[in-house]
Amino acid sequence: MNRIVNVARMQLINKWTFLGIPAVILAGAFLVTYLIWVLIPDGGPTVYSGAAQAVMWYFLALGIQSLTLTFPFSQAMSVSRRTFYIGTVGLFAVVALAISVLYYILGLIEVATNGWGQNGQLYALGWVAGSHAVVQILFYFIAMLALFMVGFWFATIYKRWRATGMLIVWIAIALVLLGLVALTTWQGWWPAVGAWFVAQTPLSVSGWVALFCAVLAAGSYLTLRRAEP
Amino acid sequence: MIDESRPIFMQIAELIENDIVDGALAEEAQVPSTNEFAAFYRINPATAAKGVNRLVDEGILYKKRGIGMFVATGARALLLDRRREEFFRQYVQPLAREARKLGIGKEQLAQMLSRSETGTETSERSVAQ
Amino acid sequence: MTAPGESTIIEIRNVTKRYKDTTALDDVSLNIYGGKIYGLLGRNGAGKTTLMSVLTAQGFQTSGEIRVFGEHPYENDRVLSRICFIRESQKYPDDFSAEQAFASAALFFSNWDKAFARRLADDFQLPLKRRIKKLSRGQLSAVGVIIGLASRAEVTFFDEPYLGLDAVARQIFYDRLVEDYSEHQRTIILSSHLIDEVANLLEHVIVIDKGKIMIDDDAEAIRGSAFTVVGTGTRVAAFTAGREILHRESLASLASVSVQGRLSEGERAEAAELGLEVAPVSLQQLIVRRTMDPGPELSMNGAATELEVSP
Repeated sequence: MNRIVNVARMQLINKWTFLGIPAVILAGAFLVTYLIWVLIPDGGPTVYSGAAQAVMWYFLALGIQSLTLTFPFSQAMSVSRRTFYIGTVGLFAVVALAISVLYYILGLIEVATNGWGQNGQLYALGWVAGSHAVVQILFYFIAMLALFMVGFWFATIYKRWRATGMLIVWIAIALVLLGLVALTTWQGWWPAVGAWFVAQTPLSVSGWVALFCAVLAAGSYLTLRRAEP
Repeated sequence: MIDESRPIFMQIAELIENDIVDGALAEEAQVPSTNEFAAFYRINPATAAKGVNRLVDEGILYKKRGIGMFVATGARALLLDRRREEFFRQYVQPLAREARKLGIGKEQLAQMLSRSETGTETSERSVAQ
Repeated sequence: MTAPGESTIIEIRNVTKRYKDTTALDDVSLNIYGGKIYGLLGRNGAGKTTLMSVLTAQGFQTSGEIRVFGEHPYENDRVLSRICFIRESQKYPDDFSAEQAFASAALFFSNWDKAFARRLADDFQLPLKRRIKKLSRGQLSAVGVIIGLASRAEVTFFDEPYLGLDAVARQIFYDRLVEDYSEHQRTIILSSHLIDEVANLLEHVIVIDKGKIMIDDDAEAIRGSAFTVVGTGTRVAAFTAGREILHRESLASLASVSVQGRLSEGERAEAAELGLEVAPVSLQQLIVRRTMDPGPELSMNGAATELEVSP
């Protein structure tokens, strides 16, 4: 247990990686967006900005970096793969949860201040903001975790099987997607699929993405178990 | 210095013996620790310890618990005896054997030996001429 | 010096590691005992790093069994926490400075000596605040050497730790290693192909070649275990007849033959009478002789087959 905590502490030795850069991206995205809203006078409807997603994409990169560089180093620190995995994913989960709560709070402020006084929409995304607090936080949290796990798993695959492995995985994903599209078209399921997507709520989406996360988490763990630094 | 031809522990033992024979290490004087030997000669400490322990076994050094290693009283005499014995085996015996082969008598051999004592002077003179 | 006994801390049984088209370790069996400085010697690509990777569960063997402190090292934090292995090509997080790498090591190695690490960094003139990514090859090696030394792990592996280090820095490493080992006895496994430089530091020597163990012996037993005789071909041949020949070379009527074994004083005298010169074979030469492919100039004298001696 102690070593798992130490893995998290190791990841935090450079404060920038897990804390500094996300904070800068969060603040930067907000300031830039706000500036744009102020400078461009608007006449009517709500102005949506996707800038809040920026930090999520950073987590994809963080997932990749955690594995490619920190994993070989953790091996030199005599840390088992399991300990490294739990410590790293655990730390990320804590950071992601904190940011999710922050998003929720910022969303509340946004609504209360009539979109930061500019009728802007950065955090309180219309589709999610109406949900229960827990659902909102869960939604953000799962989304961030999914991106991190995607980066982490792809990096693990690259670590173990190099470019060949990546190529095979991409081809496999493409084939599966194409197969699904073909199947849907052939069976004439598109209207049903469309209806299914429309019917999704933030909670159900969170559920599906959580399922996806679980698959990714299990996949990356099993891949990491036999990875060499 | 340490060379690669023979076990290092033997060389360490010899280095200490030499110092005792030529008086650099007096009897009852403290001998450097194995770690000091190891650091100085850049050798494995266990190997240095093996050399020192050999001398302890032979009664040339003795251990004072918690203080270190010292030269035993009578160590120099012991070593000189041993070296003389070695000298006899290594040099005198082959010399005598060779002399017998060449028909050199005892007296002639003794004469040659005393001549070799002044040999250095002779060669110096011949260089000067 | 009180050795912590001759207890086996690493057992390796019939370990084989195959990559696609090469066999990096070929049925290796070894015991490693506690409290000694081991030399893991061999040419580049002989299997040194692979062996250390497998022992530390950083890599996986294709077949065979390994026990470290009596347990499987794989995914075993209890065992791993007593081991330190910094690879020659060790990767560090991109944004880490040496200081941060050391702070990290302090988290995982319970015997970590912070002051010692500082002192070593001074000795190696290592810039602590600079990003590791921007360090020279020698400075990068110094980071690994410092982690290895200051971790004071019960078993510490050094994987060709001197790459890019100049002669002075290498000497500093050897000196600090001997000093610190004297004070804090532990098992050190030093992989190297610069055999002459490390020979005197070793208590035990393991020579690996093409994935096989060629020599596994006490360093002192190896010293002086072979000699070279130089002189007139026929006389050398007569003198070395019936001995295990490691290497043979000739130039006109002169021959130089390296032979396994020791000479008695009588035999030395005999050699001198025959006008033969006898010289010791150093550890490095011995390993070269034993791991060299039989060259064409050797097979000419029929020595090629005799090169394939097993320890």
